[in-house]
Amino acid sequence: MATFTERMGPVLLVWLAVCLGGTWAVDKGNFKTCEQSAFCKRQRAIKPGESPYRALLETMELTNTRLTLQLINDNNKVRLLLELYRLQGNITRVKINELKPLKPRYEVPDVLIREPPTEPLSLLSQDENGVVLSLGPESQRVIVSARPFRLDIVEGRDVLMSLNSRGLLGFEHLRMRKDTQAEPETDNKEGADPANQDENTKEEEEKVEDGMWEETFKSHTDSKPNGPSAVSLDFSLPGVEHVYGIPEHADTLKLKTTDSGDPYRLYNLDVFQYELYNPMALYGAVPVMLAHNAQRTTGIFWLNAAETWVDISSNTAGKTVFGKMLDYVQGSSETPQTDVRWISESGIIDVFLMLGPTPREVFSQYASLTGTQAFPPLASLGYHQCRWNYNDQEDVRSVDAGFDEHDIPYDFIWLDIEHTDGKRYFTWDPHKFASPKEMLQGLMDKKRKMVAIVDPHIKIDTNYKIHNEISSRGFYVKNKDGGDYEGWCWPGSAGYPDFTRPDMRAWWASQFAYDQYEGAMENLYTWNDMNEPSVFNGPEVTMHKDALHGAWEHRDVHNLYGLYVHMATAQGLIERSGGVERPFVLTRAFFAGSQRYGAVWTGDNAAEWDHLKISIPMCLSLSLVGISFCGADVGGFFKSPSTELLVRWYQTGAYQPFFRAHAHLDTPRREPWLFGPENTALIREAVRQRYTFLPYWYQLFYLAYHTGEPVMRPLWVEYPQDPATFALDDEFLLGRDLLVHPVTEEGARGVTAYLPGKDEVWFDIHTFQKHNGGQNLYIPVTMSSIPVFQRGGSIIPRKLRVRRSSTCMEDDPYTLYVALNNQRTAEGELYIDDGHTFNYEKKEFIHRRFSFSNNVLSSVNLEPEAQFTTKSWVERIIILGASNPSTITLRTADGINQLEFDFDASMSVLTIRKPGMNAGADWSVSLQ
Amino acid sequence: MRFHVIAAALLWAAFVESRKIRGISSSYKRFYRERKSFLCIDGSKMIPFEQVNDDYCDCADGSDEPGTSACPRGRFYCTNLGFRPHYIPSSRVNDGICDCCDASDEYNSHVRCQNTCWNLGQKERAYVEGQMKTLDEGLRLKQQLIEEGVLLWREKQAQLRELQRAAEDLQIKLEEHRRRKHEADRLKEQTLKALKAGDKGLRHQNSTVSHLFQLLDSNKDGSISVDEIKAKVVLVHDEKRVLSEDEALTLLGGGHQMDLSTFQNTLWDVLIQGHDYKIKDAHSAPGGLMSEDPHLKAADRAAEWEATDLKKVEEAYETVNMEISDLQRKLGIDYGTDWEYLFLNGQCYKLKVYEYMYTLCPFNMVSQKSSAGVEVSLGGGCGQDHQRTTTVRWCTRTENRAGREVLAPLQSL
Repeated sequence: MATFTERMGPVLLVWLAVCLGGTWAVDKGNFKTCEQSAFCKRQRAIKPGESPYRALLETMELTNTRLTLQLINDNNKVRLLLELYRLQGNITRVKINELKPLKPRYEVPDVLIREPPTEPLSLLSQDENGVVLSLGPESQRVIVSARPFRLDIVEGRDVLMSLNSRGLLGFEHLRMRKDTQAEPETDNKEGADPANQDENTKEEEEKVEDGMWEETFKSHTDSKPNGPSAVSLDFSLPGVEHVYGIPEHADTLKLKTTDSGDPYRLYNLDVFQYELYNPMALYGAVPVMLAHNAQRTTGIFWLNAAETWVDISSNTAGKTVFGKMLDYVQGSSETPQTDVRWISESGIIDVFLMLGPTPREVFSQYASLTGTQAFPPLASLGYHQCRWNYNDQEDVRSVDAGFDEHDIPYDFIWLDIEHTDGKRYFTWDPHKFASPKEMLQGLMDKKRKMVAIVDPHIKIDTNYKIHNEISSRGFYVKNKDGGDYEGWCWPGSAGYPDFTRPDMRAWWASQFAYDQYEGAMENLYTWNDMNEPSVFNGPEVTMHKDALHGAWEHRDVHNLYGLYVHMATAQGLIERSGGVERPFVLTRAFFAGSQRYGAVWTGDNAAEWDHLKISIPMCLSLSLVGISFCGADVGGFFKSPSTELLVRWYQTGAYQPFFRAHAHLDTPRREPWLFGPENTALIREAVRQRYTFLPYWYQLFYLAYHTGEPVMRPLWVEYPQDPATFALDDEFLLGRDLLVHPVTEEGARGVTAYLPGKDEVWFDIHTFQKHNGGQNLYIPVTMSSIPVFQRGGSIIPRKLRVRRSSTCMEDDPYTLYVALNNQRTAEGELYIDDGHTFNYEKKEFIHRRFSFSNNVLSSVNLEPEAQFTTKSWVERIIILGASNPSTITLRTADGINQLEFDFDASMSVLTIRKPGMNAGADWSVSLQ
Repeated sequence: MRFHVIAAALLWAAFVESRKIRGISSSYKRFYRERKSFLCIDGSKMIPFEQVNDDYCDCADGSDEPGTSACPRGRFYCTNLGFRPHYIPSSRVNDGICDCCDASDEYNSHVRCQNTCWNLGQKERAYVEGQMKTLDEGLRLKQQLIEEGVLLWREKQAQLRELQRAAEDLQIKLEEHRRRKHEADRLKEQTLKALKAGDKGLRHQNSTVSHLFQLLDSNKDGSISVDEIKAKVVLVHDEKRVLSEDEALTLLGGGHQMDLSTFQNTLWDVLIQGHDYKIKDAHSAPGGLMSEDPHLKAADRAAEWEATDLKKVEEAYETVNMEISDLQRKLGIDYGTDWEYLFLNGQCYKLKVYEYMYTLCPFNMVSQKSSAGVEVSLGGGCGQDHQRTTTVRWCTRTENRAGREVLAPLQSL
């Protein structure tokens, strides 16, 4: 989908022209720098040094579940309340709020899946300088230092993480405006308790800075009735040189230091033609950072939905490799350390320190807080064909027929905003889409599906049912004066439903019911775009921060808005089927927890090689913070790709989780068959490869849903002790077992892939050529090459009978690819269920473990209490790195059979012909 | 009779079913003769015959599995008895979607496909028959249009020729009339001159110089005085008023007296022309004295007559020439090799698409008019500053009407 300017009516064209000045890139001037964001500027101005905050140890209270302690700012005597919790699964939660705020400060709801269960804390020692608490059995302790206030989390002799060690804790207490409101100030003094008495005098000395009570950016003025309310805190990570996460940024996987520029910004924005390799905010925000070194992985989850900036600095950042080596040789010097500082505009400090120690444990710790990836319908892992716009039903029919004619599988065809009646969502254009059910039935007959867009801006039109209902129920977000907030978006003047209200979300969900959403059928799914929210005429193309969501300002909830839209829509799709069917909803804006509601894409990218490259780190960064179902628009949204770029993008997208081609309205058509038979064949082959791996994808998504482990992984996640993997972001793993190094260079003759693991072997999935791990491998490539390797030691189930759509392949037989490692063993899993309902929650599935050792391949049930039957069987077993057996015997409940096989000695590939057992059965195959 | 043939065919089909290799056409049967082993059609591999269509792909070319979905690039032959046979990719065998009308592709799937070949065949035959009929009808209509076109063409050609002939005639006539007008004009001039010269043989006495002189010379003293002028001469346009002294003097050439010889050269001319002055109570006033001369009158009338006639002929000639060039322009347009599109000339068709009304006048103009009333030309005519063209998709039907579709006009800005 588009960002605003491209889709705007002529009214804004002049503005566009002025804005773009004819150049092709984001206009940075439309978006704030830290310097232009008053709170960021104020907080960033705090320099490291002695913190004014002191812990009042005498106020400490320790119960079974938490420690509370007051902090005092010695400069202004304002007191804060620190809460410290030990959470189950090696997580420490630190909350800091004002002890007595003038009015409540926003605490982010609905992101945590439950109040996190705690574990007991125990006091180890205490003196006037601080207290030491035990964090459970692993010799982990937290040291609270009193003067200045500081927290250190220590394991054994190692400091894992320190808070306020640089003294950058900043907490702007709520205050009355002095220059204009002297009266209430007096009231406040009288009402203050004795503890605050002496503070007021101090407080008056605090200078009123520009931007505290009002801030203007471009033509927009942000009235700040609550005054300054920012919070910030620094974290030191000793021994850490690599930090990751805090999406969404179009940047490398390994985060950069920000000393010389702006901090990474987290503020959901509709950025027109975003620029690569910079820290500007994009459509979504997940305030989670992972820190990694060869010994340990930890994570910081800063639960705050307001505009947030993250500064990163490192004591080794400036050093050259040679300098680092010198340090090493000389046994020298300081340990490397990364320091980060989080700054948010409002709310409280609520931070979860996920202490790992392994990457997998950090994933599970984060999943225990915000939940795991929604388990998607199997079909949504297939290929998606999208374009802004498929013009009418005939267009949809002919594109659908084109896929059949060219024998390219696909599962979903998408309709962008033009399908609606005048950008009124939940409606259809009466001429172009006069009979949507007929169209959907046509797709259903081919076992295919459709996605139609539903954006959260609602056309203000008294003849539009949705608007009338939202308006009459008072569900719209209000402006600062209490009237309905109005902004400009696709339909023209639009209202924005207040999705932070549970009753609004429930009503929204009800609109997806088949008797409400006319023309919808069960194979119609939903796409939420523009949910940052995008407001064409708003500050930074989004909503005014002083707009009101009930008692809260938009400032407080901004980054959460998109998550709520996604949540309500997914809920609607669940409810329309009576809770039976899994939803599929794509969102552009997101926050921590959005993984629970569906898929995410990287927004309006461009048909450029760098955009293809950046799709890898962008999705890896999302994967690390729980959002596995990620993809980039294949082909690039803006501009028109060269044929080579398009083919390479298909080849890359085929191995990324969300696989959808999309294109801007102004670009020439680019359905896969429009570039000559050779390129059609290349694209067909890439898409077919995707479909053969669907069983593996599905199993990975089940795993992601079940455990929180990402589907697409940076190499360091699986090879955490190999520093060569720490910054790799031109290749990635799918699960543990597939290594993908897509070709992302124009005119490439070859790529160099790092194959990790000194003791590992990797098999080229196309040629079955075996390569040793722990090396950089140069792979010559042609246009048909997609360098992908299967790890020795793994078993991957595939379906090689690629059909029109994934649903057509439901009952098809499996081919097991058994790749042997140096120990001649291998393991793998197979997950099967109905592919589309929630019945897996009732244990209606098959989950098998395959293992190969001692020349026996066997399938055992991983979930004996689960029940499901499948028609699928095993048609072929391919063993890579095998030797030639004399006989092969299959043992099943039905008896013993000799199996035919074929051995290719040149590649050491053993193909076992048609073993034929049911995929859900217990069996073993022995090689003699 | 037809029924019997089909029944026989069905029986035969049932009989051979036991040996039938699924998914092949009869021309491929020779590759699948039942023997001990089967050679992949590409010759790459020999497999036991039982492995043909055993739902496992042995041959790289997929030839061992023509009837299953086992081979990735295989193809399945839909016999489609009663309809058209065709191949489908083998990935469409048993995928739960009915592809062959004889339902043969879904022999082992959860869908129940109906054999629709007979219906489809019938439909197709009906369609083909319909098409043939339409084609015949179309050809007949075309022939008719051609005939009409030819007739029209000939008619127009004849018309052209006639017009050209008429033009030639008119040209001759025109010459003649020009000549005659010239003659008449000359005659008139001569008459006038003669009258002036007092040629008695030709002139009436009343009109002679001396007679007029005598008429004015009331006291008969041989010269005309101011008073005599005032008594007898008046303004043509104001007969009642007596001339002033000065006017009379002017008429007398500035002197108080005028003799006959001076009169003949000055005042006589004025009076005979009768433009400004005339003799009081002279009855045929505006014509002056000239009108009173029957010869002059006749000559004048003849000249006027000839001028009118010439004008008429000129107009006729012009009209005919215009008609000729119009007809020539029309005849210059390409109406198809057999003039089958000639009938469209002069016709206009209207079509409403959403809010737009399109008007197409073949060989002339196309326009789009929005419901708001804005009319835009989409081509035709010439010399327009925006070069727009319209693509008209031509569908032949048995009756004549504007097509359903209007393609978006191509517009280069």
